[in-house]
Amino acid sequence: MKKILALLLALVMVAALAACGGQTAAPATSADKPASAPAAEAPAAEAPAAEAPAADEPVTLKIWFHGSNVAPDASKKVLDELNVYLQDKIGAKLDVIWGTWGDFDQAVVTALAGGDNVDMYFTCNWSADEYNRYARDGYWVKLDDLLPQYGADLLSTIPEGIWECAKTNGYDGIGIYAVPALKDTATQNCWDVNGTLLAELGYDVDAVCAAGLDYYSDEFEEMLQKAKDYKAAQGENDFYPLVMEPMVLERLVNVTSIVTGDLPGASVLSFYYDKDHPSKDIGSEIVNKFATPEFEKYAARTYELAQKGFISPSTMNVGTSNDYLSACQQSASYLFGTQSYAYGCEIDFSNARGIDVRMVPADAPYMDSTSGQGAMVAISAVSKNPEKALEFLNLLNTDPYVMTTLNYGLEGFTFEKNDDGTITFIQENRATYSPWRNGMGNIRILPPTADEGVEYWKDFSAYYDSAEALPYGSFIFDNSVVETEGAAIANVFAEYAFGLCSGALNPAEKLPEFLDKLAAAGMDDFVAEANNQMNAYLGK
Amino acid sequence: MQKNHRLNQISAGTEALFHVIVGLFSVCCIIPFLFVIVISFSAESSIREIGYSFLPNAWSTATYSYAVQRLPQIWRSYFNSIFITVVGTFLSTLMCALYSYALFRPDFKFRGFFTFFSFFTMIFGGGLVPTYVICTQVLGLTENYAALIVPLLVSPFNIIIMRTFFKSSVPLELIEAATIDGSGEYATFFRVVLPIAKPGLATIALLNALAYWNDWYLSLLYIKQNKVLQPLQALLMELQNNVEYLNRMSAALGSSAIQEAMRAPTQTLRMVLVVLIVVPIACAYPFFQRYIVAGLTIGSVKG
Repeated sequence: MKKILALLLALVMVAALAACGGQTAAPATSADKPASAPAAEAPAAEAPAAEAPAADEPVTLKIWFHGSNVAPDASKKVLDELNVYLQDKIGAKLDVIWGTWGDFDQAVVTALAGGDNVDMYFTCNWSADEYNRYARDGYWVKLDDLLPQYGADLLSTIPEGIWECAKTNGYDGIGIYAVPALKDTATQNCWDVNGTLLAELGYDVDAVCAAGLDYYSDEFEEMLQKAKDYKAAQGENDFYPLVMEPMVLERLVNVTSIVTGDLPGASVLSFYYDKDHPSKDIGSEIVNKFATPEFEKYAARTYELAQKGFISPSTMNVGTSNDYLSACQQSASYLFGTQSYAYGCEIDFSNARGIDVRMVPADAPYMDSTSGQGAMVAISAVSKNPEKALEFLNLLNTDPYVMTTLNYGLEGFTFEKNDDGTITFIQENRATYSPWRNGMGNIRILPPTADEGVEYWKDFSAYYDSAEALPYGSFIFDNSVVETEGAAIANVFAEYAFGLCSGALNPAEKLPEFLDKLAAAGMDDFVAEANNQMNAYLGK
Repeated sequence: MQKNHRLNQISAGTEALFHVIVGLFSVCCIIPFLFVIVISFSAESSIREIGYSFLPNAWSTATYSYAVQRLPQIWRSYFNSIFITVVGTFLSTLMCALYSYALFRPDFKFRGFFTFFSFFTMIFGGGLVPTYVICTQVLGLTENYAALIVPLLVSPFNIIIMRTFFKSSVPLELIEAATIDGSGEYATFFRVVLPIAKPGLATIALLNALAYWNDWYLSLLYIKQNKVLQPLQALLMELQNNVEYLNRMSAALGSSAIQEAMRAPTQTLRMVLVVLIVVPIACAYPFFQRYIVAGLTIGSVKG
C-alpha cells in the first residue's frame, strides 16, 4: 500500500516536472503566436508608445553571443556606458551573456529548450542552435513583417544578396528569421604558401604565386620534393611539405562548393562552378562528390603524393588531422597548405608565424548560404519585446558608436583613437574584453585598427562585394526528407571519405568499393532529392 | 591465532608477484599525473619543438607565474571551489545522515514510503531540460553559489549506503538505552549515533567532496554571466573546450578560428591548471582514508 502511495507521489512529481518541461518547451510553438501575430497587427497600436519611451521603465534586452572572451567587470564597465546611450536612443538597456567557444553550444540548447528569458541569440549554420533547424522548429521570430517598421536602416544597409541567404523555410513559412552579419560573407579557397621557405628553395615567390599553383603539374611535385630534401638536409626527417584539411583540398582542387544542408560532418554532395566567374551557369547539377572523374583524378594524385612522403600520417588520421594542421601552420613547418580565405588574413598569419605567408587563390570568391549564414542574430520566440530587440539590432548594425563599443570596448579603456581615424588597442584591457568580432553583426562600420590601416574597411567591403553568387543562389537543401538514406550514407562516408581525400587509401582499390556501398546506402535518391529541391527552388 | 595466520599465508613467490602486479598498476595510475606535472614545468618552446616529453629541452616556471599573476580569476575560482566544496559537503552529508537515519529507524512509520521515494529518482530522472527549468525558473538557481550547491545536495545512492551502514553498525538497543536514559531524539542522533557512524559519514563526505570539487557542469548551465563564481574545474573545462571547439570548427570558421586559437592559452597553461586542481583534493585523501578503510571493513566482521 505504502509502495503504491510512494509510487504515486513520485509519479506526481515526475508529472509536475514534465508539465513544467512541456510548458517551457511550448513557448517555441505556442508563444510564436503572440510573438508573430501581434507583429503583424500591433505595430500601429504600439507605434506611439515606442516613440515616447521616456515615460516607461526602460526595457532590458538580453543577448547571447558566441566565442567571447570577456571578463565580468570589463563587461559591466562597457555596458554601463553603452546603456546610457541606448536608453537615450531606443529606451532600452542591454544585458549580454558572453558565451565562450567551449560552452555556447551546450548551454544555449538547454536554455532554448528551457525557454530562458533571453531576447536574442547568436545563431548560424554551424553552431548547435542551427539557424535553419531552429527556425523550422519555431524558436526564432520571423522578421519579414517587422523589418520595414523597426529595422528600416538595417534593411537598406545589408545587401540584398545577404538577406537572400538568410531566407529559410521556417515555422511561419519562408522568410528571414535572423539578422545576418555583414562580415566575411564570401568563400574563397586558397593555397597557403610558405613564401619564406619557397624563397629559400630558390624560387621567385612573386612569380610562382602570380602564376597560381596546379595540383597536377610536375612543377608542383618538384617544389614539394625540393622542400622535403632541403629540410632533410637540415636534419628534419619528419617534415611533410603538404599540409591540408583534406575535405577542403578536394574542394580547392576540384572547384566545388559545399552544398548548404548537406549531411553535417559528412559532405557528400558537390556542385561544380566556374573558377573565374562562380555565377556563370556551366550547366552544373548537384552530384555525388565521389562519383566524378575529377574526384577520381584528385584521389589518385593525392595518393601518389602521399606515397612519395609529402603528406604526414598525422594528416591522414581523422583524429589528429586538425591539430596537426594548426601545429604545422603555427610553427611554419610546411610548404603548401589549404586555407579558406578571409580578407587580410595573410598579414595576420605572417605576423603570427614569423614568415612570409602568401595566399594563392584557387578560384574567385563566391557567396552562398553557407557563407551568408556564417553569423547571425535571431530574436527568440519567447522574447517579450521582439520589436525593441529588432530596434536594437537595427542600431547595432547601423550606428558605429554602438558597434564599436560593444565590439571593441570604450575609448580610453580598451582602445585609443589615433589622428588618422584608426584605433590602437590598449592590450592589457583589451585582453579582458575581446568578443568575437565577426559574430556580432555589421563589422564594416568599425574603425580600422592601426595595423589594418586607414583603407582597410573600404578594401574589405570591395573584396566581399565583388563575390558572385553561385548559380543556385542561396539554395538550402533540406535533407530531413531523406533522413534514413542520410544516416546510412554518413556511416559509409566515415569509413572511406577522409582516407580517400587525404591520400591514405588507394582509390584504385577503394573507390569502386566506396561507390558501391554509397549506392547501396541510397546515394542516388539522396542526390536526386537534392536536385529536385534545387530545381524547385530555382523554379525550373 | 598462529594457525590462522599460517592458513592465510601465501608463498613468498606469489606474494612477490602480487606486489609486482599491484606496483605496476600503481605506476600506471601515477605516470600520467607525473607527466602532467612535467609538462606544466616544460618551456613552451620545448613543447613546440619536440612535443610532450618526460625530458623537455628546457624547464620553465613562466606559466605558473603567468597563471598566478595574470589570471586573477584563478584565485577567485580557487576560493569558489573550496567554498562550494566545504559548504556543499557539510550540507549534503548532513542531509544524507538525517534522511538515512530516519529510514534506518524501524519505528518510523513511513519508512518504506520514503525509501522508495528516494530510490525512485535513481531510476527515473526528470531529464535535463525539466531539471534546468525547475532550477532556473522555480528555484531561482542562476548566477549564484546556491546554483552550484543545491542541485547536488541529495544523492539517493549515498542515502542507501548510509542507511545500510547505520543498520550494520548501530545497534537498536543502543538507541533504546539512550531513550531510557532520557536522551531526546536530537541528542541520541548527534551524540550517540553519529559518533558511531563516523566511518560511514567520512565515506559519504569524501564522495560528496569529490562530486563538488570535480563538478563543472552546473557552472556551465547556471553560471553564464556572473562568471566570477566559476569554480576551478569549470574554468579549466572552458579553456579546454574553447581549444577543442576551435579545432573542430576550423572549417566552418575559416581563418577567424585560427585568429581565435592564437589567443587561446598554451598547452602548459592547461596543465598548470590541472595541477592546481588536483593538488588540494589529493591532499584530502589521507585525512579520509583512515575512516574509509574502517568503514569498508566494519560491516563485514559483524555477526
